[in-house]
Amino acid sequence: MTSPVVRLTVRGVLARKFRVLLTAFAIVLGVAFVSGAFMLTESVKDAINGLFDELQGDVDLEVRTRIAFGDEARAQRDPVPGSLVAAIAAVEGVRTVEVNILRQATIIKKNGKPLQTSGPSFGLAWYGTDGLDGRLVLEGREARGAGEVAIDKKSAERAGYALGETVPIVGPNGSGDFTLVGLTGTKTTEGGGGASVSAFDPATADAFLGTKGQVDSILVGLVDGASRGDVQDAVAAALGADTTDSPYEVITGDQSAKETAGAINDIIDIFGKVLLGFAAISLFVSAFLIFNTFAIIVSQRLRELALLRAIGADVSQIRMMILGESGIIGLLATALGIAGGVLVSKGITALFNATGAAFPSASTVISARTIAVSLLVGVGVTLFAAFVPAARAGRIPPVAAMRPEVGFSSLQRNKRLVFATSALVVGIVLLVVGLFTQPGGTVGILLAGAVGAVMIFLGVASLSQSVAAPVSRIVSNILPFPGRSMNKKTPGRIASRNAQRQPRRTASTASALMIGLALVSTIAVVAASVQATLRKALGTSITADFYATNSGFQGLPVAFADKLAQLPELGAVSPFRAANAQVAGESKSIGAVDPAMGELVDTDIQSGSFDSIADGAVLLHKDPAGDLGVAVGDIIDMTWQNGKITALTVGAIYADSSIVGNWLVSLDTLDAASSAPPLDFFIGAKIADGVDADAARSAVERVATEFPSAEVQDRVEFQKSQEDQLNQLLFIVYSLLVFAIAIAVLGIANTMALSVFERTREFGLLRAVGMTRRQLRRSVRWEAIIVSVFGASLGVVVGVPLGMAVATALPETFVDTLQIPFGTIVIILLASIVVGIIAAIGPARRAAKLDILHAITTV
Amino acid sequence: MGPSGSGKSTLMHCLAGLDSLTSGSAFLGDVDLSTLNERQLTILRREEVGFVFQAFNLIPTLSARENIELPLDLGDVDPDAPWVDRIIDAVGLRDRLDHKPAELSGGQQQRVAVARALASKPKIIFADEPTGNLDSKSSSDVLGFMRRAVSELGQTIVLVTHDPNAASYADRVIFLADGKVVDEISEPTAERVLDRMKRLA
Repeated sequence: MTSPVVRLTVRGVLARKFRVLLTAFAIVLGVAFVSGAFMLTESVKDAINGLFDELQGDVDLEVRTRIAFGDEARAQRDPVPGSLVAAIAAVEGVRTVEVNILRQATIIKKNGKPLQTSGPSFGLAWYGTDGLDGRLVLEGREARGAGEVAIDKKSAERAGYALGETVPIVGPNGSGDFTLVGLTGTKTTEGGGGASVSAFDPATADAFLGTKGQVDSILVGLVDGASRGDVQDAVAAALGADTTDSPYEVITGDQSAKETAGAINDIIDIFGKVLLGFAAISLFVSAFLIFNTFAIIVSQRLRELALLRAIGADVSQIRMMILGESGIIGLLATALGIAGGVLVSKGITALFNATGAAFPSASTVISARTIAVSLLVGVGVTLFAAFVPAARAGRIPPVAAMRPEVGFSSLQRNKRLVFATSALVVGIVLLVVGLFTQPGGTVGILLAGAVGAVMIFLGVASLSQSVAAPVSRIVSNILPFPGRSMNKKTPGRIASRNAQRQPRRTASTASALMIGLALVSTIAVVAASVQATLRKALGTSITADFYATNSGFQGLPVAFADKLAQLPELGAVSPFRAANAQVAGESKSIGAVDPAMGELVDTDIQSGSFDSIADGAVLLHKDPAGDLGVAVGDIIDMTWQNGKITALTVGAIYADSSIVGNWLVSLDTLDAASSAPPLDFFIGAKIADGVDADAARSAVERVATEFPSAEVQDRVEFQKSQEDQLNQLLFIVYSLLVFAIAIAVLGIANTMALSVFERTREFGLLRAVGMTRRQLRRSVRWEAIIVSVFGASLGVVVGVPLGMAVATALPETFVDTLQIPFGTIVIILLASIVVGIIAAIGPARRAAKLDILHAITTV
Repeated sequence: MGPSGSGKSTLMHCLAGLDSLTSGSAFLGDVDLSTLNERQLTILRREEVGFVFQAFNLIPTLSARENIELPLDLGDVDPDAPWVDRIIDAVGLRDRLDHKPAELSGGQQQRVAVARALASKPKIIFADEPTGNLDSKSSSDVLGFMRRAVSELGQTIVLVTHDPNAASYADRVIFLADGKVVDEISEPTAERVLDRMKRLA
């Protein structure tokens, strides 16, 4: 503490503890988000990887079918004949061989509802605690025959079952009743890591899960001391799997575990990235708040800083002082932010667990990387935001100590306009290029979009200084009611004048709010357009009377469609299945349907006929048809994931892909090509001629009771459930944006508090000549409202075109009608009034509490 | 009138309802100020009292006219137009009414402040060193205007000052020292006031 700069810096922070705290809070929120995202993803990954390690148990080798392309863990793999077991068991060094059957099986809770899980609902073949995998019996014993099941302890508890009770379980071929004989877990968990696990003995699994001797893979355990590499080669040789032509491959258990865990890690990473995206938004808004606070503090300390200059401090010392203060704030905030990150991470985990998702119980991992990134981000953003105010502080001439009106020169207006306009133009170009030419896929779009948006925000924030005064005047003329504006009364008039007084301050305060609300309006426009498109599609594209979907994302048992097709009350019935295939070297999602789908969905056929699908033709949307340059009658080679290649004739080209996607083949075509276990995404059905709707409905419901995981809806219900899903997503996005808006509210409150402090004399005078406390509070409140309505208007002005650009860039499947949600925009503007009122609570109270005598004698 | 620290300003603050009393009472007309609550005091200041401070008298965002009419506006009272006109003419600032305080000289600003104090026809105006920051020419302008307000408009003004020249504009000078009234003269001249001051010091 010998250097005077250090001493002054520290004293400067201490003297303004409250201000420091408020400023720091914005950074704390941002850092908490960043570190929380890292902690959460690392902790969950740690736990998942640990769980898979445990589950891997003693599996040394795994035999499975090869895939021709795509991701190993998520591939739709053909099954392996169980008959290979004998050949494998005969290989020297092999101790045990087990079949691996892993299919969807939903546990029905005591109350008759399907058990919801965040992960998949598995039914599997299990050899008990002594088997190869790492699953253990925690209570009871393993299942030993038809009619018995062991369930992971957590799922059994959640579903409400105790040992000895009967548990209905729905498998791919329908439901069955099983006696609960055991509760399973692993060494460290009592659950399935978010999944529910129903473990049957291998024969029961084969029968109930419908594998019929065709298992998902075969697991191998070696005798002690055998070389894994040697046995791996020997097994491969025994199966003829030592060439890539063979349908089979032999991999190590470690690799299998790594692949599965990797697939889940990818999902967690996406989740983490979304959190980081919102953290970035919060930090960006925080930067505005910090910039503003320091700019105001510097101008309020003008005399003090000038005095320091007068008594010999040089420019760089002054700058270091201001930057040092921001550095200290950044450090403090980062420390608090990391602590907050633990809360964020735990909070999100708790939230997921409360909804039944259950992350594997993880201890929070705080890695060095998390701390390093948090420091970099927290301190970096703070220093960056304080840079301009610090530079400006350095420009204060010493003479300002005596003559404050000399002040400091700010960036020339012309320079600012040039800078702002170029930022805006570059931003728009980047955004448009990113959205419409889409360089470098998703990453490129996101990067160009994000950088473009940031440039646009900076440009608009800077330009908004020029309109802050006139817009404030307009706002004060129309609020609270045009014709009865706040200007008619003195408190309102003073508020309006104060808002116009320092356009720079008003503009940067409003800009923080602009960002949050611009994003809200962008999303609102996109959502409204998607919704309008969806509504249109559901209105015109679907002609079916019933839809069955699974409320989770796990698909429907295929037996359900078969049973529906047998109902005399129904006419056309078709499931929709999806498979992966490569066309011209690119991976596509191919829909497989019954020819009856033609009656259930209007695909708007352009040429050819839908019925050609029954003859083994492929139908495709006009976009890929155009890209490939194919017409009806041309041949397309399709490589399925198992490597099989089928040449398909184009039977029709259609224009409406909103329900069925871009590619369609018949179920028979898919069955001939691939034997991967099928799951139906949805089923459409039409009422048979002459059957009334209620009779058909009750017939469908009767079948549906056997498949409780299916949700049967008529057209109106389906439409509503689709919109509900969209709304749920919107709700989550908006909730995350609330943080950015909260920081902006904090920013307005902070600026108002600083302004109130700055205007102590003025308010003292007003009070002396007869302004009541209530009038003074009202004046502060009106000013905050003007600022926030200004910010919201900027947000809407920026956000709506942004949303229109994004909506236009989206593929037609999502958006083909542009819709501007005027209702939402009005709500945003009205809400900004509330934002102003909330932001003004503290400052207004503080202003009203001013001691008049003290205020008027303050120099 | 009195030397620094004699209690001039404190007395004024008490009389004007800006400060609360620890003992004793202050009356404005028949009203005991100590019986009023915060809101009543505010309204009393707005309607019955006028203020002119040494500096920083005007709200920088309001024009000269808006500053003059401020207490009336705050009370939602329509200004008595002929009266306000008369004051404005008396201050001699008719052509500067739409200017902001920053565009007025120090003397003009203080004249606007006096005009504001007069506008609501208060029972009494308290002026705390109103010429403390002005040069001699502007000082005599402001003091002359205040003098006329008393003689021509019948306004009561209490002027707090330690400048004998300013005191000479008054009808009556009361001397304070160490918080007590120590002397009083009527129809003062600058010389007589200065004489007394010397003796007090």
